[in-house]
Amino acid sequence: MHSIYERSMSEERRSIVGWLVGLVGFSVVMLAMYPTVSGNKAFSKLLDAYPDALKKLFSLSDYTTGPGYLRSEVFSFMAPLLLAIFAILWGSDLIAGEEERRTIDLLLANPVSRRRVVTEKWLALATGVTLLAAGLELALGLLGPAFRLHVGWAPLTAVVLGSGLFALAFGTLALATGAATGSRGVARGAATVLAVATYLLSTLAQLVGWLRPVESASLWYHALGTDPLSSGFHLGHLLVPALVAAALVGLAVLGFERRDLAT
Amino acid sequence: MRPGREDGADIEETTGDGVDPTIALEGVTKHYRTGAGVDDVTLSVGPGEVFGFLGPNGAGKTTVIRMLLDLIRPDAGRIRVFGMDARADSVRIHRRIGYVPGELSLYDRFTAREMLTHFGYLRGLRDWSAIAVQAERLELELDRPMRKLSKGNRQKVALVSAFAGDPELLLLDEPTSGLDPIVQQQVHAEVRRAVDEGRTVFLSSHVLAEVGQVADRVGLIRDGRLIAVERVSELRRRAMHLVDATFASPVSEDRFATLPGVSACEVVDHRLHLDVSGSLRPTVQALADVELVDLSIREPTLEELFLSFYEQSRD
Repeated sequence: MHSIYERSMSEERRSIVGWLVGLVGFSVVMLAMYPTVSGNKAFSKLLDAYPDALKKLFSLSDYTTGPGYLRSEVFSFMAPLLLAIFAILWGSDLIAGEEERRTIDLLLANPVSRRRVVTEKWLALATGVTLLAAGLELALGLLGPAFRLHVGWAPLTAVVLGSGLFALAFGTLALATGAATGSRGVARGAATVLAVATYLLSTLAQLVGWLRPVESASLWYHALGTDPLSSGFHLGHLLVPALVAAALVGLAVLGFERRDLAT
Repeated sequence: MRPGREDGADIEETTGDGVDPTIALEGVTKHYRTGAGVDDVTLSVGPGEVFGFLGPNGAGKTTVIRMLLDLIRPDAGRIRVFGMDARADSVRIHRRIGYVPGELSLYDRFTAREMLTHFGYLRGLRDWSAIAVQAERLELELDRPMRKLSKGNRQKVALVSAFAGDPELLLLDEPTSGLDPIVQQQVHAEVRRAVDEGRTVFLSSHVLAEVGQVADRVGLIRDGRLIAVERVSELRRRAMHLVDATFASPVSEDRFATLPGVSACEVVDHRLHLDVSGSLRPTVQALADVELVDLSIREPTLEELFLSFYEQSRD
């Protein structure tokens, strides 16, 4: 254990393993239910009879095909949400937690700049999110065929990337808020509220006409709103959460550098 | 004598020959919303000097040390360490500093070896031997999780970390507070070794005896104000004794008030209180002529010493 990055990874190791196990378990459960809906005509009829609003709300189109099933059961809400919870919990703890546990004085008495502390800790966060996203993708892509669920690697990668970037953006927001305030609670609260708001905005815009023009303000829309499971990569859209995360790293450095650290 | 003026003289003394003082604070002020903090502190510590920073809890000692490390920033004033700006050059400054915080928190889930390896890497220590030597000297258990270590052993982790690599300046914030006497001895031995090797030491404490043992000069801080900076030898010379005597019969004040060295004299009934500086002999001789029921002669407590300086600085 040498760098701040290595220590942060080492501190989070057990948690990352736990989340990986959970995500793979969640994937297996979802996949195991697929054979009961796959090509099931009765199901299709039932769903066709649903009101349009409901179908949009729960991404129910093509529910009985592999990509359609994954979109509605895994990526309409749960997987991006789980990744975001992981990222927000850890992101809020990386700087603010160290300050609340009062280890930050000893750390910064070493010849390391606050900028370096923020950067290395963010790299750890990005690594963690990447590991979980990769685990999710491998679980769905490799185990899917065993449950007769086939989905191409390219669309799967596109939707996992969107979910990961969504989570990373809000994890970084939590890290930046924690760095600027020193409070884990404030960091968690702010990031969670905004993550939920952006999801709601994007989903409700499907139903409410006048919301549609402002939908592009929603990170959820750019990360996942373009239906990557059917339409593949939209690099222009994926760039938005990536750039937001990068900008938030800069703000985290500024916020942390300007501040008196709590005793 | 005005302590403030003497402080000014010391700054000239350490900067006059062209050598940067190791620590220089000029008019440093820091206020917290709670009201505590420090006010207009000007102070200079030269290379190789051992400076004792003395004051009761909450007087502002930790505030000053944390400002030296750029963990908090002053509202006003200038802080230079090794001639560099405490904020702009903090990384270069920290490379040459060892720090023991007043309120110690460690990475509890790791072992001492893991944390010391981590910090050694951050401080650019090329190999483990610099840390190992220090750990051995303090008999530190390296491979137990730090949450399971006793308070003394936790403090040893901080000391090993601070002293490893022999930094030029040691900032020690109440390094012995709350430790058992054996560990206190070990800490004192480490400080003395650093002093012998010519390092600059900035040692805060609320115990005069502790600082007096190692320091060249002592700064007294109270309620955020540096009220006196004195050489330890001068402090010793001026140190008073407090004499309390109870007599069998009432005595008159005149008999004692005029004795050499007596600066304060109070008689109530059968009881006498004297502040005596310098030699005690005239006083003891005078006391021997009276029928004594009880007698105590003691050195002033830190609080009493403060009061005497405080009153002088208001004169």
